[in-house]
Amino acid sequence: MTTATTTVRTAARVVDAVKVYGSGDTSVRALDGVSVDFPVGRFTAIMGPSGSGKSTLMHCAAGLDTLTGGAAYIGDTDLGGLDDRRLTLLRRDRVGFVFQAFNLVPTLTVAENITLPLDLAGGKGDPEWIDALVDVVGLRDRLHHRPSELSGGQQQRVAVARAFAGRPDVVFADEPTGNLDSRSGEEVLGLLGRAVRQTARTVVMVTHDPVAAAHADEVVFLADGRLVDRMESPTADKVLDRLKAFEVPS
Amino acid sequence: MNASVRLSVSSLRAHKRRFAGTFLAVFLGVAFLAGTLVMGDTLRASFDTMFGNATSGTDAVVRSAEAITTPGESEGVREPVDADLVTAIEKVPGVAAAAPNIQGAGQLVGANGDPIGGQGPPTLAGNWIADPELNAYQLAEGRVPAKSGEVVIDRGTAERGDLKIGDTTTLRTPDPVKVTIVGLATFGGEDGMAQVTFTGMTQADAEKYLTAGPGEASSIQVRAGPGVGQQELVDRLTPVLPKGVEAITGQESTEENTDMISSQFLAIFTTFLLVFSGVALLVATFSIHNTFAIVVAQRTRENALLRALGASRRQVTASTLVEASAVAVTASAAGLAGGIGIAAGLQVLFPAIGFPFPEGDLVISVLSMVLPLAVGIVVCLGSALLPAVRAGRTAPMAALRETAVDQSGASRVRAVTGAGLAALAVAVTLTGVLVSPSLWLPGTGAVLALVSFVVLGPVASTTAVRVLGGPLGKLRGVTGSLARRNALRSPKRTAATASALMIGVAVVSLFTVFGASLKATMDQTVSRSFAGDVAVSTPSFGAGGSGLSPKLADAIDGLPEVDTAVGLGRGVAEVDGKGRALTVTDPVALERTFDLGNVQGSLNALGANGIAITEKEADKQGLKTGDKAQLTFTDGKKESFTVRAVYGQSELAGDYVITRAAWAPHRTQDSDTLVAVSFRDGVSADAGKAAVEKVADQYGNPEVQTRDEYAQSSAGGIDMMLTLVYALLALAVLIALLGIANTLTLAIHERTRELGLLRAVGQTRSQLRAMVRWESVLVAAFGTVGGLALGAFLGWVLVKASDGASDSAFAFAMPPVQLAIVALVGLAAGALAGLRPARRAARLDVLRAIATE
Repeated sequence: MTTATTTVRTAARVVDAVKVYGSGDTSVRALDGVSVDFPVGRFTAIMGPSGSGKSTLMHCAAGLDTLTGGAAYIGDTDLGGLDDRRLTLLRRDRVGFVFQAFNLVPTLTVAENITLPLDLAGGKGDPEWIDALVDVVGLRDRLHHRPSELSGGQQQRVAVARAFAGRPDVVFADEPTGNLDSRSGEEVLGLLGRAVRQTARTVVMVTHDPVAAAHADEVVFLADGRLVDRMESPTADKVLDRLKAFEVPS
Repeated sequence: MNASVRLSVSSLRAHKRRFAGTFLAVFLGVAFLAGTLVMGDTLRASFDTMFGNATSGTDAVVRSAEAITTPGESEGVREPVDADLVTAIEKVPGVAAAAPNIQGAGQLVGANGDPIGGQGPPTLAGNWIADPELNAYQLAEGRVPAKSGEVVIDRGTAERGDLKIGDTTTLRTPDPVKVTIVGLATFGGEDGMAQVTFTGMTQADAEKYLTAGPGEASSIQVRAGPGVGQQELVDRLTPVLPKGVEAITGQESTEENTDMISSQFLAIFTTFLLVFSGVALLVATFSIHNTFAIVVAQRTRENALLRALGASRRQVTASTLVEASAVAVTASAAGLAGGIGIAAGLQVLFPAIGFPFPEGDLVISVLSMVLPLAVGIVVCLGSALLPAVRAGRTAPMAALRETAVDQSGASRVRAVTGAGLAALAVAVTLTGVLVSPSLWLPGTGAVLALVSFVVLGPVASTTAVRVLGGPLGKLRGVTGSLARRNALRSPKRTAATASALMIGVAVVSLFTVFGASLKATMDQTVSRSFAGDVAVSTPSFGAGGSGLSPKLADAIDGLPEVDTAVGLGRGVAEVDGKGRALTVTDPVALERTFDLGNVQGSLNALGANGIAITEKEADKQGLKTGDKAQLTFTDGKKESFTVRAVYGQSELAGDYVITRAAWAPHRTQDSDTLVAVSFRDGVSADAGKAAVEKVADQYGNPEVQTRDEYAQSSAGGIDMMLTLVYALLALAVLIALLGIANTLTLAIHERTRELGLLRAVGQTRSQLRAMVRWESVLVAAFGTVGGLALGAFLGWVLVKASDGASDSAFAFAMPPVQLAIVALVGLAAGALAGLRPARRAARLDVLRAIATE
């Protein structure tokens, strides 16, 4: 990666992010002036009740969606100035994704799914790094299987390996454990955490599960499209308490 | 509204796009069919009207009773009648007028020096009949021919040849005659009788150039006086006619003429078009079936939910069928309207390209309404039947399962059945071709081969796509290998999609191979039996052209460069009761310029009562040298000829050869079809050709061709035919491409989320487009390769079967260049079909695609 990580303290950030869906009377302000940094080498969880704008924030920060107002940066690249092609290339080269479901291309093998972004870029990547990743996610004996031959947890681990394969600046995970049983979920979260702590990667995860959020270094809370709180070193109980506070009408 | 119907309607409304392809496939097929039928009926009716108008003034026609018809010709040759009969006929009470009608071949040369017409329809010349009611042509401008050299020509011909009143040009009868155009005529109110050209001359000129002797006429046209009916007239005429001459009513004569046009030209024309609309509809069947199969598969969960909620099998099946009926009825109705529109359009277009399509209202018979509608509906419903039944069989449990899209395909039963069918097809075909030559065995084999290809499709598609797509991964990286694997996903679907194209390509290749083989056959014929250096002929096709002046051969023979020049004329006679074409020539010279193979007896002394026959005919008739053969000529005279020679090869020389002396008493208008020339030793080909051309110039400028050129021009008609066939098959290929596009669109709909994921992790829009396009190309490649293989095989079968079933030898030839072009077109078409689905896929909204359910 060519990014000067020594000078840029944040892997991704949004400044005064505003996102409005629709127009006129029916318009909805999904993000209403959110500013948040995702520091390099940190595991950040975004939480909030349904409709709080947490998924929108992630989509805009990752270059999947565009902001109505404000700015989003990956490293020091302003996403607002990029056309669809440049955004695509940026996602391919500098961002990793783990979605809730349907994370893998069914026609490709496990190995091919892992290197998919690199293959799309036409590069080889770093074979040693990928080799190490395969061991970390524990799928060496499944490399030539098709996704349909894997369990949900295994599929999600492949997705995690793919997300890190190109050593992206930041990995965005959207409810990565939403479709998994608790044991598989725990494995996937463990993987994400280890990736951050052992290899100094950056992960931003959207979740509604306090137990999942507890794996993060920091939790940011969103409500009604605004950033309402941040919590360092979260635990499941503390997060749950904070969430309960939202339910009380203020 | 019934529940099934309500479901179908709402489903149709929600998925209008998916049925666009089906709609178009049915529409195009039905439109083609309806257009053909309407156009055929309209042409037939117009010709009837035109002939009716043109000949309404003729109440009776007097002509020779006997006609000799040779194989392959619908119109017999009749002996002329004595023109003096007119005097006797005019004396018959009730006859208002009678006029001799002399008709022969005469080709006009246009203002630019090129002959007019001759490529199919006849080029006629005759006497201009003074009585306007007896003359089928009416003078429209100028005046009638009054003295020798003056002619009236039909207006259509005048326009085609850029000739005006006052112009002087050449009429090949085949002797070139200088003529001055003094008038323009119309036929039955039209500018001409379709593409037939007509030149009317004075009676003296007509007798001089178009008959063998003065006082002859092809027929005598008679007009009745007031109050005398046609039949009555015929009855009164019959007693005064000599033996061998008959009278028929004007109406009968008109019917004979129109029947001839209907059976000869129109029937072939419409049958030809119907065959191609059949091919188009067959291709459509595959596309439609595929669409419904995919739609039903995609709707498995929906249907399962309905079943779980208590819908019966029949209700689910019915709702799919109702959907199909709605598409079938609207598309067929639209197709019918489109077909009528095509016919109307052609009516306008044909005259614009110089083909006088008779004017008049379109004739839309009940049949041409009902048949296309019925065929369209049956094709559409029939194609949807299996998928509908499958929809009904959906288990309610499927609603709860995460169902994968139809992956079935290559079952063992299918592989075994297909292989069995293929083996049977090959066995039947080979028996038909090699063991007992016939046409129906190979025909059955061809159908079986087609069926086996369709059955084997899914089995073959996996291997084929893997092989064909092999280089893709290396060439196009992950985009290529994704495309390849997408094409491998559902073998059944890929096969069904490709089958449509396969049939189209197979028919194209079949014609390409057959055409090339015909050309090779011609080539072989010429190189085997033509031993001369140049051939002189008039380029003509069908009934057109006027042949060569019989004096030409002698004139060329007189050149110092020329060793031998021999003219081949054509005569007809019945040999042992059957009409035969005779070659009238100088047998001695013939032997020098043609390789006649093994000759028994001698061609040197045929004389006026000797005949030479090919071995094949001699065997058939049980004749050998020294035997007597009975020949009956058009004048009814029977003569006994001695077989003086039996020769081996016949292709260019014909099966029966007699001398000019023997033919002279029976001849009509004299012309040669070919003059074969061989040069003296030491004369270069160029010098010889130039000398011959100089002489030919004075005889109406026929073509002088070297052996190769002659062989090529003999094959010219084949190219024309092939072009037409390709144009017609373009429709079938278009329908097949619509099928590919439709399947891809549906597949993309199915893979929305997968495409969204690919886009999210960094696939650019152009990569995505390329992926879809390559998938399309792969499917097309599979169809094209299959089609080429099937078409080449069927072409071989057709050639071999024709070889076995007919008298002349057929050569088989594979045209590698043309087949490569067919392959390229198939691939390019695949890329084209993928364009729209690819664009649609690239427009996909990433966020919506990856959004969880």
